[in-house]
Amino acid sequence: MGVVTTIQRFSLSDGPGIRSTVFFKGCNMRCAWCHNPETLLAQSQLHLYPEKCTGCGACLAVCPSGARRAGENGIEQISALCTACGACAAVCFSGALSVSGTEMSVEEILNEVLQDRAYYERSGGGVTISGGEVLAQPEFALELLKALKAEGVSTAIETNFCFPFPLIETLLPHIDLFMIDLKLLDETAHKRWTGLSNRLVLQNIEALDQTGKPFIIRTPLIPGVNDNSAEIARIAEFLSAFKHLEYYEMLNFNPLGASKYKSLGIENPFESARPLGGEALRELSGAAEIHLTKIRLG
Amino acid sequence: MRNRINTLPLGTALGYKERLAILRERKIEDTKDKAGFMSFADGDDYGAVMLPEDFRFESIPTHKNGGYYGYEGFSKNFHKLMAEHPVLIDPCDAFANRWMTCMTWLRQGRGFNPDYSFDHLKPLQALYGIVPGIGADSHFGGDYQIGLELGWGGLLEKLEHFRSQNPGHDDFYEAEILAIQGIQAWMRRTNEITALAIEEEKIPELKENLRQMLACNEHLLFGAPRTLREACQWICWFNMASREYNRDGAGCQLDEVLRPYYERDLERGEMSQDEAKYYIACLLLNDPHYYQLGGLSPDGHDMVSYFSYLCLEAADWLDSSCNITVRVHDKMDMAFLRKSVEYLFKNKNGWPRFSGDRALSEGFMRKGYSAELARQRVAVGCHWMSLPGLEYTLNDCVKVNALKVFRVALDEMMKEGERSTKRLWEIYSGHMKKAVEVTAEGIAFHLKYQVHNQPELLLNLISHGPVEKGLDIVNGGAEMYNMCIDGSGIASTADSFAALEQRIELEGRLSWDEAYEALEANFEGPRNDYIRQMLSASQRYGGGSDSLGDIWGVRISKDFSADVVSMDEAYAPVKFIPGWFSWSNTIALGKMVKATPNGRKDFEPINHGANPHPGFRRDGALTAMSNAICAIQPGYGNTAPIQLELDPGMAQSDEAVQKICDYILTIFDQGATLLNINIINEEQILAANENPDLFPDLVVRVTGFTAYFCLLTPEFRKLVVDRILRAG
Repeated sequence: MGVVTTIQRFSLSDGPGIRSTVFFKGCNMRCAWCHNPETLLAQSQLHLYPEKCTGCGACLAVCPSGARRAGENGIEQISALCTACGACAAVCFSGALSVSGTEMSVEEILNEVLQDRAYYERSGGGVTISGGEVLAQPEFALELLKALKAEGVSTAIETNFCFPFPLIETLLPHIDLFMIDLKLLDETAHKRWTGLSNRLVLQNIEALDQTGKPFIIRTPLIPGVNDNSAEIARIAEFLSAFKHLEYYEMLNFNPLGASKYKSLGIENPFESARPLGGEALRELSGAAEIHLTKIRLG
Repeated sequence: MRNRINTLPLGTALGYKERLAILRERKIEDTKDKAGFMSFADGDDYGAVMLPEDFRFESIPTHKNGGYYGYEGFSKNFHKLMAEHPVLIDPCDAFANRWMTCMTWLRQGRGFNPDYSFDHLKPLQALYGIVPGIGADSHFGGDYQIGLELGWGGLLEKLEHFRSQNPGHDDFYEAEILAIQGIQAWMRRTNEITALAIEEEKIPELKENLRQMLACNEHLLFGAPRTLREACQWICWFNMASREYNRDGAGCQLDEVLRPYYERDLERGEMSQDEAKYYIACLLLNDPHYYQLGGLSPDGHDMVSYFSYLCLEAADWLDSSCNITVRVHDKMDMAFLRKSVEYLFKNKNGWPRFSGDRALSEGFMRKGYSAELARQRVAVGCHWMSLPGLEYTLNDCVKVNALKVFRVALDEMMKEGERSTKRLWEIYSGHMKKAVEVTAEGIAFHLKYQVHNQPELLLNLISHGPVEKGLDIVNGGAEMYNMCIDGSGIASTADSFAALEQRIELEGRLSWDEAYEALEANFEGPRNDYIRQMLSASQRYGGGSDSLGDIWGVRISKDFSADVVSMDEAYAPVKFIPGWFSWSNTIALGKMVKATPNGRKDFEPINHGANPHPGFRRDGALTAMSNAICAIQPGYGNTAPIQLELDPGMAQSDEAVQKICDYILTIFDQGATLLNINIINEEQILAANENPDLFPDLVVRVTGFTAYFCLLTPEFRKLVVDRILRAG
C-alpha cells in the first residue's frame, strides 16, 4: 500500500500527451515555496475550511480524541489532540473538513487511472507519479510502475532526484520519462531553501544521462530565490553537457497552494509572492538560451 | 433600426477585412439594441435586428377565434408580413436585408388550432413533465441545393408542374405559391431601396458594392444563383424568410453546398480568395445558422477541401457568434481539426463545435438506414443532425423529464409497502414506459393535425417530396419520419438513485423515511440540511466508472432508449430516435419537480443536457465526465452532447493544441456524438455577470447554440456562470 493525496486525471502539464498524475504523500525536501504543502509529511493531515462549516456538530460526536469541541464561537479544533484519523471528515459533507493522505493499493490506483487509457493511447500520454516525492515510497513506486508497464501504459515520474542512484536504478527499467526538479545550482542556497544539498541531484542527473533514458529538467521560478539570470544561466550551462535532456522547462511561480497552507494551519513563507511577469520570464529565458536550445516556459 | 447609408467619412479604408470589422461593430450595436427584449433573451443570436419601433403588423384572421391556422391562414399572413416588412441595407455588407421578427412571436398566445384537441393527453403529459412538441415547428433540415438549382422562379414553375399532376391539392400549392410571392415582394422593395441607396451613398467602393448587390438581387428575383455571391445571397433570402415564418434555423453542409460556385468563380478568374471569404463571412453575419464543415461523403471520403478552410477563415475574420460544426472522423484531414481548435481558442466565441461521425452514423444505421445515408445526416441544429430535405424529425422539440418521472415513482413507492432502490427502479421504469408511450401518442397527433395548425410552407420548398406529392412535410410529404424524443435530467436522476442506494442501502446512514421527510420539507432545518449535504456528496454521475451515479446513468439511458425505439412497431413507418438533451429548458423542467435526493431543492434546475451537475468530482476531470457521457449515449444517431468549459490558457502551445485535438478524437472513439466547448475564464465571466452591458461582444455557448452573454436573463446567466466556475 502507498499513501496518496490525490489522483488528477486529464493532466496536461505533467509530461507528454494526456496524462493522469498520482500524487504521493511525503517528501525528503522542505522547499519553502512548495505549492503542495499537504504532500510534505508522510502521514495523513486534516484540512480545515471553517468558512464551509454549517455548525451541524456531526464531527463532535465521532471525534475519538476530543480535538473537535464546541466553543464560544462555534466548533473549534484543538490541533494538538488531532490524530488526523479522518473520522470527522467522514461525516462532514459540507467540505469543511477533509483529510489528505489515503492508503491505496496498486489495484485501486490502476482502477482509477486505467479509465483514461484510451486518452493516453491516442495522445501518447500516460501516467505520471508526482508528489510529494515519488522516491520517498520506493517499494510502492516500483510496484505501481511495474503494474502500469504491464498494462502497456507509458510512465513518467516527477522527482527531486535527491536519493542514492542505486535506488533510482531499481526503478529505471519501468520509467519512460524522468521529469527532474532542479531548483538551484548553488549548493548553499539549495540547502538553505530546501533543507538538503543538491550534490546528489547533480550527480544523479549525470548518471541518468549515461543510461540513455530521456529526461526533462524543470526549475520552479521562485521570486527572490532563483528568479535571476545568473542562476538560470548557471543551471542551463550545467545542463548543456547532457545528451538525453529532452528540454529544459522553467515553471512560473504557482501561488495556488496558499489556501492549502491556510487549511493546514501552517505558515506560508511565500504568501505574498506572485508569478513573474512576461518581461522577467523573457529575460530568464534569454539567460537559458545562451547555453540551451530546447527551452520551455510552463 | 439604424441607418447605415453615408455614415462613414470619405477616405475610410474599405477593404474586405475592414468592411467586416465595421459590420462586426455594427452587430455589437444591434446586440445592445436587442438586450432587454424577451424575444431575443436566452436564445441563439440569430443574426436578427430590432424592428423599427413604429412597425405594426395586423394579422388576417382566418378562424372564428380571431387567429389564423393552416395553409390559408399562414400563407396569407406570411405574404402580408413579407410585403410590409422593413428593409435594411448596409453598404458594407455583401448581402441585403436582415430578419427582424417571426410569425411564431407575432402570434404568441395562440395555442394549437382549437378545432383539434389533445386534452386527453394532457394529464399524463403534465404528470411526467413532458414537453410534447405538439404544434412545434421546423427543427429538421432542408436541402438548400433544391433552391439553389431552381431559384424562386424555378420553384414556382415546379409548383405549377406538380399542381397539374396532383388534383385536389390546390390548398397546398396555392399556399406555397403565395409564400414565394411574398418573398419576392420583399425582394422587390429591397431592390427599390437599394437603388435609392446607390444614389445616396458617397463612398465609391460602397456605391459599387450596392450596385453589385442590386444586380445580384434583380437576378435572384426569379433566376437561380450563378456565382458564389448570388448563392450566398439566395441562402440569406431563404434563411431570412424562413426565420420570419417560424424561426427555422437549420443550415447545411456549407463547404460542399457552396464549393461548386466558388470553384466556378475561380475558373472564370472573377474572384479573389479574400472576396470569397468576405461573402462567406457576410453569410455568417446575416444569420449564424448551424452549418457543418467536413465529414464523410456518401461513399466514405473525407470532404474537407480548400474551401472548408476558407469557411473557417471567414468565420475567423468575422470573429463573432457562430454555429459551425466540424465533423470528426478517423480519415479526416487532421490539420483541419488543428485549425479548428486553434480558432476555438483564438476567438473564444464557442465555435466551432465538433460532432463524431462514427457514433452518429453507426447509431443511425441501427434504425435500418444505409451508411451512405447516415454520412449525409449533418449537424444543422442545436444538438441535432438531419438528412437535408429527406426527413421530418421534430428534433429538440420533445422532452421527457426523467427527474419528474423519478419523483412520481418515489412518491408512489413511499405510499406503498416495499422500499428499496430495486423497487423504486421497477416503479420508475414502468412510469417511464408510460411517459414515452404518451409522448409517442402526442407525436402521432402532431403528425396528423399539424397541417391544420401550421404547415411548413418554407421548408416544404427545399424538401424532397412535399412539392412532388402536394403534401405538407409533416403530413405525409417527407420521405422519412425519424421522430426525436429526448430525455432530460439524466444526471439529476442518476445522482438521485445513487444517493439513495449509497446512503440508505449501502451505508445505512439514513432511513427511507428520514430521506423522504427531508425531501418533503425541501431540506429545511438543520437536520434536513445535513441530509441534503450528505446526499449531494454521494457518488455522482461523472465521478468515474465505479461511481454509483455513472452506473445508474447507464441503466437509465439504456431503459429510455429501449422504450423509445419500441414505439416504432406501433407507429410504423414512423420511427422514434432517443437522445439526451434539455436545451435551455433546464430551468423550466426543474420548475416542474419538487426536491430530489441528489440534493436539489424544490423547483431548482435539472442538469444541463447530458452533463453532470457542477461539482460532480473533486478534480473536475474532463475525462471522467466525458467517459460518463460517452457511456450513456442513446445509440441511434441522435445526440447526448458533451458541454465543456475550458480556460483560455489551456492551449497556449502547439503541444497543448494537439492534446485538445487528441482529447476530441478520443471521445469520438469512445462513442461521443457532439462536443460543445466554451473558452472562458472565471474572472471574465464573473465581471460580465456583474455588469453584462460592459461585455456586449462576449459570446458563450449556452447549450447547442451560442449567444451573447448580455442577452441572457439573470437566471440563465447564473446557470452558465455556475457551470464555468465549478469547472475551473
